[in-house]
Amino acid sequence: MATEVILPRLGQGMESGTIVRWLKSEGEPVEKGEPLFELDTDKVTQEVEAEAAGVLLKIAVSEGEVPVGQTVAFIGAQGEDVPEVVAAAAPEEAAPREETRAEPAQEPAAEAAPAAEVASGNGRIKASPLARRMARERGIELSGVRGTGPDGRIVAEDVERAEVGGVAAPATPVVVPSGEVERVPLTSIRKTIARRLTEAWQIPVFQLQTSADMTRVNALVAKLRERDSEVRVTVTDVLTKVCAQALMRHREVNAEFTDDAILLHPSANVGLAVAAPQGLVVPVIRGAERLSLVEIAGVRADLVGRARENKLRAEDLGGGTFTISNLGMYAVERFTAVLNPPQAAIVAVGATEERVVPLDGGTAVRPMVVLTGTFDHRAVDGAPAAAFLQTLKESLEDPGLAL
Amino acid sequence: MPELTYREAVRDALSTAMRQDDDVFIMGEDIAEMGGSMGVTAGMLDEFGKERVRNTPISEMALAGAAIGAAMQGMRPVAEIMYEDFMTLAAEQVVNQAAKLRYMSGGQLTVPVVFRTQGGAGWSPGAQHAQQLEAWFVHIPGLKVVFASTPEDVRGLLWSAIYDDNPVVFFEHRTLYPIKGDVPEEIEPIPLGRARVHREGGDVTVIATGRLVHESLKAAEEAERDGISVEVVDPRTLQPLDEETLVGSVKKTNRAVVAHEAVTRMGFGAEVAAVLQYQAFDWLDAPIERVGAKFAPLAFAPVMEAFVVPHADDVLAAIKRTVGKA
Repeated sequence: MATEVILPRLGQGMESGTIVRWLKSEGEPVEKGEPLFELDTDKVTQEVEAEAAGVLLKIAVSEGEVPVGQTVAFIGAQGEDVPEVVAAAAPEEAAPREETRAEPAQEPAAEAAPAAEVASGNGRIKASPLARRMARERGIELSGVRGTGPDGRIVAEDVERAEVGGVAAPATPVVVPSGEVERVPLTSIRKTIARRLTEAWQIPVFQLQTSADMTRVNALVAKLRERDSEVRVTVTDVLTKVCAQALMRHREVNAEFTDDAILLHPSANVGLAVAAPQGLVVPVIRGAERLSLVEIAGVRADLVGRARENKLRAEDLGGGTFTISNLGMYAVERFTAVLNPPQAAIVAVGATEERVVPLDGGTAVRPMVVLTGTFDHRAVDGAPAAAFLQTLKESLEDPGLAL
Repeated sequence: MPELTYREAVRDALSTAMRQDDDVFIMGEDIAEMGGSMGVTAGMLDEFGKERVRNTPISEMALAGAAIGAAMQGMRPVAEIMYEDFMTLAAEQVVNQAAKLRYMSGGQLTVPVVFRTQGGAGWSPGAQHAQQLEAWFVHIPGLKVVFASTPEDVRGLLWSAIYDDNPVVFFEHRTLYPIKGDVPEEIEPIPLGRARVHREGGDVTVIATGRLVHESLKAAEEAERDGISVEVVDPRTLQPLDEETLVGSVKKTNRAVVAHEAVTRMGFGAEVAAVLQYQAFDWLDAPIERVGAKFAPLAFAPVMEAFVVPHADDVLAAIKRTVGKA
């Protein structure tokens, strides 16, 4: 029997994805693990790998937005028939959307097929006891859940995914018209940026600014590079480390405002705003307070590299508790950043530039940087935010203090 | 903390009890001058004399019966059955007498006897000198059954076994005698019926006994490299069983592997699996895996012996099956 290729869920909260293009064509042989198609979600564009080997028998959805869990293609033996019932439910264009918008449980053909596959002779669905209990407690119909355990067994993780993926809300793809004005259709990631920043704009924020003498940071970076030429430690890495330590000392800044409580996170997961070709992405360096500078540099290089190649995975982007936005590589002296909700703070870093500063009653020329913090006033008051910024400044001017 | 071998830890529990308590004595085949076939009681004859370190004739039935009689008269004897395999010869006394007398006398008699014995593969003793027969004895109401896997545990548990008023079958593993481990300065009794969590984890619980505790800890380390977090629990006392700890752990991890060196079929692990499936049914996310020896007499040839009994890689494979990564 042909194996269905299902639109996968790449992260928590993903409800649908846009098939950008197929990397295999119908009739082409496919190895398990080979990239099959490119999928654009609201967070990343990712290559989806084949979960079975064989021949790509049919591409049911050639491009466009598809809800998670829908069958988009079939892999099987050469000449094998594609199951009739499922093929009918997944035609090429917008037609099936109305159906698939329904709750998974009521989705007729597309979901019934995998369930039938795992059912034994008496129509019983193969699911672990834990998965059954969770489905019962959460009111989820197991017939609408795709099993990923051994022999297609539905396991707890599958039920969790099914719950998150409740209702899909696909939008009609915008057609590009001819004319003078070029319309650039909104990609999923652009829409997400717009939605999230609009949300952020409604949060009452305040900004605080300070400048720091980067002489010692520069010396530290130079020394580390000299010692280990393989891992190139950068000023951003020092900033990440210093911010993480400052967040641990001022936990009220490493926070999240919710309706009934302020959540203080136990670890500093520092997001780095990265200009990727497809738009702004913020990959996260987890537990940065526990990582050495060299470790941070390694993680950062990997994340930024993959961000530029559009190869970040959903798990690279979630769970941040604080963000650094660094435009220091451009000739930007200072700027304010928009909050990255639900985080309570973000710091905007300008270029390090030589400035004349007063020193010991005279003047000196020093590499100076301007840091601008933006804070969610619902979660953090001015004084603790100022104390955080002061720690940041002191730690940059004397990195030993961050230890 | 002092360091003792498993062998020294057994000897320390015996000697300490005998020093402080005249009711405690040991008996068995060749345990006096020879110090026992595994050297556990070496040197004890010199300290305690032949009245309290008693060599017996080569009759397990006779020596078990004598120990039971002494226990009924108020002594706390510890009888050594040289090989677990020979427990079959002592079985009549252990199963039909020791286990039943307290019940049949309406509580007028107690039988505070310990039957120490050892077994286990890994040194080519062949089919008749290395079996793991704990399942035979956990099936008998009236007996307590202990299987210790570390020096600290074997000392603290043997102490509790000696001072328990019920007959205790106390299993030691042949290949564990030389292993070393820290033990408390003073003997700290370990209550019978309390499991030990050797390692905490979140993805799968391995419930292991004897040598397989150590194999499971190795497997857990390997699994960690694949991102699988493994909890390793040793029940230590097989009867009574610390169901609360085992079930609690499985409710946390949602997956279980049961591992012992004894033959899998009808083994102690089958009972553990049954307990888990009943009490943690709605928490299980995968079938309970069982690891044990193949259903075959133990082979003499080292490679075949290794083939028959389980090792860390068997535990690791079972762990991976439960998380769907096999």
